[in-house]
Amino acid sequence: MDRKDKEKQILIELLALSAVEHLSFEDEQKLAQLLLHYPEYTKDDFAKTAALSQIGFYLMDDTANETLPSEIRNKILKTYDSTSDEKNTLPGFNFNSLFKTLIKPAYAWSITVMLTIGLSYSMITFKTYENNYRYLPLKRMVLKNTAKDLMNHPWYGKTSDFETIQGHVIWSHDKQKGFITITGMPINDSSLNQYQIWIVDPIKYLNPVDGGVFDITTSEKEVIIPINPKLPIFNARAFAITLEQPGGVVVSSQPLLLTAPKERPKQKI
Amino acid sequence: MPLLELIINNLSIKDTAESGMANTNPKANENLLAKVASGNPEAFEELINKYGNLIWSIARRYLSNQNEAEDAVQEIFVALWQSAGRFDPNKASEITFISMITRRRLIDNLRKNNKHKVLKSIEDSLSDDVFSQKSNLEENAEISLVIRALKKLDIQDQELLSLSIYQGYSHLEIAKLLNLPLGTVKTKIRRNLMKIREDIKRINTKVKHLYHG
Repeated sequence: MDRKDKEKQILIELLALSAVEHLSFEDEQKLAQLLLHYPEYTKDDFAKTAALSQIGFYLMDDTANETLPSEIRNKILKTYDSTSDEKNTLPGFNFNSLFKTLIKPAYAWSITVMLTIGLSYSMITFKTYENNYRYLPLKRMVLKNTAKDLMNHPWYGKTSDFETIQGHVIWSHDKQKGFITITGMPINDSSLNQYQIWIVDPIKYLNPVDGGVFDITTSEKEVIIPINPKLPIFNARAFAITLEQPGGVVVSSQPLLLTAPKERPKQKI
Repeated sequence: MPLLELIINNLSIKDTAESGMANTNPKANENLLAKVASGNPEAFEELINKYGNLIWSIARRYLSNQNEAEDAVQEIFVALWQSAGRFDPNKASEITFISMITRRRLIDNLRKNNKHKVLKSIEDSLSDDVFSQKSNLEENAEISLVIRALKKLDIQDQELLSLSIYQGYSHLEIAKLLNLPLGTVKTKIRRNLMKIREDIKRINTKVKHLYHG
């Protein structure tokens, strides 16, 4: 077996392993390197075999006779309908007249330049979005439609800089899932600091529980962030946001910027 | 002769030969995902009717409780609807595409929840529809090939692969469950997956050769 054959053998083994298990960091790097040398292979080569085998096992399993419960089916359709409705309520637009304007030669170059800039920007944004915030509006909608114990609390600014910030927290104890939405939050420099979410569960924990860190890259639009509690939450009494070192801290000593308590705080006089 | 038997039992195998490992029953699958991608609500409903039981059954095997499975199935359908436009029948059949997305989402959920349970009792309602849907799926030539390849493995290898691929157990969990060294589990799963892939590829090549000379 020559060097190339050996490399291909390792590549196939890594591809097979990656279809069923998370690879170690070293193996991931090795796989990426080998894929560059052997472009005839793709990362999904064995994912397809695994997917087919999964169906094969399902068909061979005599106990696999469950029917999708009708209430779940209805919830899926409801989520689909509500998202379609949102799409359909977008303001109307006369595409024909726009098209007629755009095909004029005078506009062609400027449109090409704008599209190129736009595409480059969206590729950068999309990369981050894909990794961190994929499908968040839909995931939030699924939670809203399925959680029977959904809590919904607005944010209150704790300092003058944060008084105008809009948004709220939704949280389901049963599902141990939640999302925060914020508009107008100051943009942070993620190399210096990150915002951190805290969940206050005083009966179970002495200190607030870490709910994950996030960055703000726009103050103009509404931002959706998933809450990722590091411990199981028993009775969430409030949520809070602080600004911490990158990666966050276990116990915060920073001032609270926003809070979302169960009860509305008394107004300052 | 197994190959001949396979061809006789599976009239749609010619489609497999013509399109590599692609869609084997184009008429049945025609445009469903394309219609879903274009925002057709009836097509989305048809997608749920066609694959809901399969996805639900697999989700119940991967995830520890009904609530988690419920969320996961909803997320899978949202993902299917969002990704339907990426479906290319020349690269994979409809069911393979759906199963790949299902697997990815379930593995993500499993990692997030970090817990597992083997489903011993089926509390869900059973219906005759499931049996007819299952036999419809079996008509897919690609799936016939994979079932044939799976059945060729010995029982222990089938069990290992089933725990990993069908029930979503990690290699470490399987090693503990079956009291086997972790290295053995990894090697066996990897080799069997490679064996199945080779088996499918080999038959596809033979069938292609048979039809195209």
